[in-house]
Amino acid sequence: MNEIVSIRNLNKAFGPVQVLRGVDLQIGRGEVVVVIGASGSGKSTLIRCINGLEMFQKGRIVVDGCELPCEEEREIGDDKRLTDVRKGVGMVFQQFNLFPHKTVLENITLAPMRVRHKKQKDAEENGMRLLKRVGLQDHALKFPGQLSGGQQQRVAIARALAMDPHVMLFDEPTSALDPEMVREVLDVMRELATEGMTMVIVTHEMGFAREVANRVVFIDRGTVLEAGTPEEIFDNPREERTRSFLSRVLKH
Amino acid sequence: MKNSNKPLKWMRKNLLATIGDSLLTLVIVPLLLWASYSLLHWGIGIAKWHAVEENLRVLMVGTFPAELVPQVWIAAAIMSALVGITFGGLVVASVVFSTAATSLLALIALCATYSNESAITYFCGCLAVGVIAHSVSLKVPKVKKYAVLLWCVGFIGISALVAPAGWDRVGGLMMSVLFTLVASVLSVPLGVALAFGRRSKYAGVQVICTFYIEVMRSLPLILVVYCIWVVTPLLSPGYPGPDLVRGLLGFTLFFAAYVAEYVRSGLQSVPKGQIEAAQSLGMTPYYINRDVVLPQALRVVVPALVGNVLDIFNTVPLLFIIGITDFLRAGQMILVNPQSGGYTYEIYLFMFAVYLAIASVITFGARRLEARMAGDHR
Repeated sequence: MNEIVSIRNLNKAFGPVQVLRGVDLQIGRGEVVVVIGASGSGKSTLIRCINGLEMFQKGRIVVDGCELPCEEEREIGDDKRLTDVRKGVGMVFQQFNLFPHKTVLENITLAPMRVRHKKQKDAEENGMRLLKRVGLQDHALKFPGQLSGGQQQRVAIARALAMDPHVMLFDEPTSALDPEMVREVLDVMRELATEGMTMVIVTHEMGFAREVANRVVFIDRGTVLEAGTPEEIFDNPREERTRSFLSRVLKH
Repeated sequence: MKNSNKPLKWMRKNLLATIGDSLLTLVIVPLLLWASYSLLHWGIGIAKWHAVEENLRVLMVGTFPAELVPQVWIAAAIMSALVGITFGGLVVASVVFSTAATSLLALIALCATYSNESAITYFCGCLAVGVIAHSVSLKVPKVKKYAVLLWCVGFIGISALVAPAGWDRVGGLMMSVLFTLVASVLSVPLGVALAFGRRSKYAGVQVICTFYIEVMRSLPLILVVYCIWVVTPLLSPGYPGPDLVRGLLGFTLFFAAYVAEYVRSGLQSVPKGQIEAAQSLGMTPYYINRDVVLPQALRVVVPALVGNVLDIFNTVPLLFIIGITDFLRAGQMILVNPQSGGYTYEIYLFMFAVYLAIASVITFGARRLEARMAGDHR
């Protein structure tokens, strides 16, 4: 039992639309899991459930020994448990979602200071170290609007890392980027993976998935249709729907 | 050649482009010329400006005791310094503009003791203080951080200087300006609280805030001010409090509802992704609102909030119903006096000019502030 994220029988609906139907997924420490699937299949919703950005109606999600409250419990107002989980789970969004009114460095130091109550000096030192790691130490005092998309996404990764997360969630991190900037972001992610970070990645970059993933999960119509090593999924998919999805995305 | 052509081209484009334009020009230009000629003729030849001169003290400070006027000068100097710092550190980096703004403020103060021989010295003092403060805040950006604190301290100072005469004797333009400042500053935090309350997840808070905002917005200001003026003595029998403070309470409560609506529209303009990003970092709702949502929301509503300051300034004359002598009321009181009763045009024209000048400074500053904020983060 060395799993850090454990999802059992997860059910989630937006009003009358059932998005997730009984998803089961265990993610081990240090594992890199890539989630693939057609758009609208529920893959983004799934990883947004892991840090409580989406509520779910049925099932259990346990992250690092802490169970997330389901919708009923959240209506009563259980914010404490949610923030506890989120402290240890970093998230990177498709649209970066950097804070436009703060400098790059302030973006990174805000949460450590407010949530972990770090001193400004320590937070800034750590922030500069992280910026160096993503290759942006020269841009610390700029505002996000002055950076390119690829640079912004690297800042977003550094911002998430500043909280020392146990798990990193990536929600289509390269989908909003111009093609020439995709690589710089993937390089940073690849480095994270080799350093042993636990990662859950929703992406359409199949080549990247094959290269870094320990396990690939194919989501279809709100369920995990097939999961396995990249070789199993990409080379010998068992399910017909997996095959047709892959032939559609790998064609070009 | 090119230069001499320019005015002709301009005229052609703006005045005589089509037949309709030419006709309009033919009607309006002579009309404007005639109007400005008669105004000038009256202003220079016929108008008796000494009426304004003699009554300046009443216009500027109302029934404020003459022996305390030097204290008003010190207050004016403090104001000049604060405005200079603000324009230097926060709004614009133009010396010309800050000189204009501070000299205007000092001019107001100058008028307060125009009959006084040493007024010119005081006036120049205020001007110098303002310009020095401006250049200091330009050179030392750190001052900017303490702007809010300086305003608070400065304001306490001004109050301490003016208070000995008794709050009910503060009047004229001095009172209008001070009242506007305090009412604007107080209505913002209350408005922000109401705006958040309206979005609260607790139904009770939400209903109360919505009810308050909607009620205030459907009542006339004059009614709110009068009601609160009548009601406050009932709340603290024996000590009714000065009229000015009771009026201030009415204005603050009233305009907070409008501020709340502006702020609410600003809060709605913050993308959901911003909140999600902050949530995913484990931040609590308090910090999310304080550090992520509110700063971005306020940035959007700065123009509306400045408009609100203007609204307050322009509605201050309504305070006459609770017996307070503001700038406009002071002018009317002068006209009631048989000695200067015949100078209606002079007095009103003077007040017109002062109102226009102050409003122009505020709008100009706001536009620069807006441009600076937009430029900062793109």
